[in-house]
Amino acid sequence: MASPCEVLVESNDAARSRKLITLAQQEADRIEQKFSRYRDDNIIHQINQGGEPVTVDAETARLLDFAQHCYSLSEGWFDITSGILRRVWNFGQNGKIPSQREIKALLPHIGWEKVKWENPNLTVPMGMEIDLGGIGKEYAVDSTLTLLKRETDNSFMINFGGDCNASGPMADGSPWMTGIEDPHRPGDAAAVIQLKNGALATSGDVFKFIQHEGIRYGHILNPRSGWPNPDSPLSVTVAAATCTEAGILSTLAMLQGKDAEKFLDQQEVKYWCYR
Amino acid sequence: MKTSYHWIILCAVLATSGCSSLGVKPWERNLLAREDMLMDADALDLAFDEHIYFSKEASSGGQGFSGGGCGCN
Amino acid sequence: MQLTKKKVAGLLSAATCTLLGTPAQSADNGWDVDSAILFYTEDNNRIEVVEPVISATKDLGDDESLSMKLVYDSLTGASATGAVPSTLVQTFTRPSGRGTYTVDPNETPLDDTFKDTRVAYSMNWEKPIDRNNRRNLGFNVSKEYDFTSISANALWQHDTNQKNTTYSYGISIELDDIDPVGNVPEPLTDMLAQDKGGSSDTKNIVDLLFGVTQVIDKSSLFQLNLSLSEADGYLNDPYKFVSVVDSVTGEPIQQLFENRPDSRSRQSLYGEYKKMLSNKDIFTASYRFMTDDWGIDSNTFDFTYRFRLKEGYFIEPHLRWYQQSEADFYHYFLVDGEPVPTEATADYRLGEMDATTVGVKFGKQINDQHLWSVRLEQYVQSGDSSPSKAFGQLAQQDLYPDVEATMVQFNYSFKW
Repeated sequence: MASPCEVLVESNDAARSRKLITLAQQEADRIEQKFSRYRDDNIIHQINQGGEPVTVDAETARLLDFAQHCYSLSEGWFDITSGILRRVWNFGQNGKIPSQREIKALLPHIGWEKVKWENPNLTVPMGMEIDLGGIGKEYAVDSTLTLLKRETDNSFMINFGGDCNASGPMADGSPWMTGIEDPHRPGDAAAVIQLKNGALATSGDVFKFIQHEGIRYGHILNPRSGWPNPDSPLSVTVAAATCTEAGILSTLAMLQGKDAEKFLDQQEVKYWCYR
Repeated sequence: MKTSYHWIILCAVLATSGCSSLGVKPWERNLLAREDMLMDADALDLAFDEHIYFSKEASSGGQGFSGGGCGCN
Repeated sequence: MQLTKKKVAGLLSAATCTLLGTPAQSADNGWDVDSAILFYTEDNNRIEVVEPVISATKDLGDDESLSMKLVYDSLTGASATGAVPSTLVQTFTRPSGRGTYTVDPNETPLDDTFKDTRVAYSMNWEKPIDRNNRRNLGFNVSKEYDFTSISANALWQHDTNQKNTTYSYGISIELDDIDPVGNVPEPLTDMLAQDKGGSSDTKNIVDLLFGVTQVIDKSSLFQLNLSLSEADGYLNDPYKFVSVVDSVTGEPIQQLFENRPDSRSRQSLYGEYKKMLSNKDIFTASYRFMTDDWGIDSNTFDFTYRFRLKEGYFIEPHLRWYQQSEADFYHYFLVDGEPVPTEATADYRLGEMDATTVGVKFGKQINDQHLWSVRLEQYVQSGDSSPSKAFGQLAQQDLYPDVEATMVQFNYSFKW
């Protein structure tokens, strides 16, 4: 799944802007290569071989700590070991609903509590996998922002497939304009948000779902049941100080099903929820 | 953060307007979204003016609902 | 398991902070507060007003917001009664019916008992209905010594054409209770008779608004509003007189309480254009035409130009020009011996006049959080002070004195 990415820089200096954008691209590519579960040359692949303790680098350790934190904060609703459910859930164009038996067979291999994480050593039991896809893109946005902030005082905005973070308002105080895609009309904006500093992240993909017997099965799966939660919103966009934070909150909101708005109200964050 | 990123590279913002058709794309609204470009910017100034002119002249309102709420006229 | 009762956001920001090694910034979710104070002074010891205002808007998320406003105004001074000046000392009965005041020869009669405080509260709730529709509900209440007003309004805004065109449809209903000092005077009866009716009367006003806002390009937009207003009930000013003058000397011999029709229909058309120039200066121009069934037509032109200076400072000159024709029942005075019309007023605000406001505002925007400004305006209103129909002593008098007012205003806005 490819996502369009952009970096917008307020500048009159094209050469300088191009340099910043190249830096951003390098950083995003670095994170993607390092943490993608589709590659066989990275730390994730090594960890997912299973059974053996793997010593990880500082950045990976920070991400694992964070994932563990999210797991306990969310009482298990956010779980980076739930990625293997994608073996039976195929949210493509020809997606079909897996059987309960197929799902049940995978459930014993899900659960962060079964993983042994003693910083810097991680042991994932055989048959289990970790997948940082749920936080990787948002982390890439935040990390790139931090990197570019060191390089320039100009205002800029990073947008990786709809997850954005702005460094600050433009020189004259005007905001960056960001659209939230309308889940009912893909390609069209449901709302335009003015972003000065802070981040936005969206959960819910207008293409990634299975429609079966009148029921819409969204791609955000409950790690406990292996099923998408019924009555989830079509999309949830959350504004927060960082993209990573916004991403977790929007994912957790999706998992709350019909209580998504209630959950978000409780968090006292700004959000846009579409059903 | 899946397989690859497509890159849309956009630099140097804030071009001068030269658009002939009416209206703009949602992402071209950065100037119009500014607080000082809202039709009701300086709302308190407008409210004071409404109140003063309501009490001194025979006309009121127009921009929004006509002042009122005052026994001064 | 339900997370809905749990606040994870705070702990999550702390965790994110560790992950990214950056200090957590709190999301902006407070109140936007605007405060201001106006000092309004008229020359010649007429009205003086001090009016502080505070308004606060809370962003409720999902484009929903709630705002509240509290206005206090304290008014002192004297106001023209509509009576004509005389070469003799004139004695007027106070509105309460108790006591009198005198007006020196050749002076415009002013009622010096003007003293009032007003407190007004309003709230507004804006909420999106769906991606292209918003509704806005408002409620206002205002109370002064002799006047109580409540009103409610609803506005529906519909966006179309990629939000480049917005249609607005609104209705406002206002109910007023007029409780004049010394009861409601019987219209067109002699002031001295103190012929008063009930202790209070009412009026109601229904306003309809239809508006279109069109984005023209990246830096300019245009708004056009059509407003219809219908007022019914007690529309008189209980403290205003019309003088009946001697048909030869022009000396006032009687003061009658004024009488206006008990209904008024107004239509107005308002257009505004706003443009940000490439140097970020902002130009605004507006025009309003209003007409009503009292025979009043008015034209208002208003221009501001905001120069953007360095470091967030700005300076904004303002020019307003207003002109109105007189009401059909406006009379400078009535002549003794001629039949008294069924409706008559000498209230200068219903006479033919023009007015000019020249002002300047200076302020500073401090990052995104604070804005202060100072505004100074000068208002001059003038009509025909020597109308051709003036005769006898009236020909020597100023029958439409200018109103000159100075306004000084301080604004401060902040996030809280």
